[in-house]
Amino acid sequence: MAKIYGLIILVAILGGVGYAAKYYYDTTQATIATLRENNSKLEVAVDTAEASVETLQGDMAKLASLNKGLQEDLQKAEAYGDELRGKLSRMNLTVEALRDAKSLEGKMNGATAKLWRGFMDDTGNTNDYPLPDWLQQVPTGTGDQSGDTGGESSDTGSSSSEASSTN
Amino acid sequence: MERVQIPVVARPKPLQLTDTQVRVVTKDNLDAFLLEFEEQYGEVAFVVLSMRDYENLALNIADIRRFMNQQTEIIIYYEKAVTEEPTDE
Repeated sequence: MAKIYGLIILVAILGGVGYAAKYYYDTTQATIATLRENNSKLEVAVDTAEASVETLQGDMAKLASLNKGLQEDLQKAEAYGDELRGKLSRMNLTVEALRDAKSLEGKMNGATAKLWRGFMDDTGNTNDYPLPDWLQQVPTGTGDQSGDTGGESSDTGSSSSEASSTN
Repeated sequence: MERVQIPVVARPKPLQLTDTQVRVVTKDNLDAFLLEFEEQYGEVAFVVLSMRDYENLALNIADIRRFMNQQTEIIIYYEKAVTEEPTDE
């Protein structure tokens, strides 16, 4: 009889251990499944975050490059005015006029024509406009037209360029 | 990441300027200038600028051109910034 009780107790203990083991196994598997699912979500989140960081880094690099180019271009735009200011400060237009009015006039007209064409070119007008009549006339002896022509063609680089800026 | 799409609009119509003639007049060529001017235009009426004012006008125009070109560069900057293409600079 005692053996039967002992056997029953042993079976009960083994059953309890088995149930506990099964419960532990199920719980562990459920936890593992939950963790695996969370891990997948985290991997997706990390991928998205990394992609966003890469995009932002790319944007920042692009904007930095653009900004650098912009600063250089903005500085280039200052050059014309700076050059003009320098030339005007180095020369005296009144003295130039009293010395040779027609020559100065020619340079001014040539440079003026060049300036207007530069304006048009800056805004996308690439048409080739002929020089005005007063720059195309053959010298008549007064010196007027010859100065004009020279001002536009050959002298624009030097004193005519200041005249170009002057107009 | 979602980007805000901003369409790039067309630029304004380019400038189409008219040539202007400058005359330099001193005491020495004043009489000849008046005769020539009246013969050319029929009347003697003109606008006069001193050399100083002429210089100021030139500097003003240069500054306007500077501003215009810088505005254009800033517009180009924004146009490049809102497009997907990588910058070539």
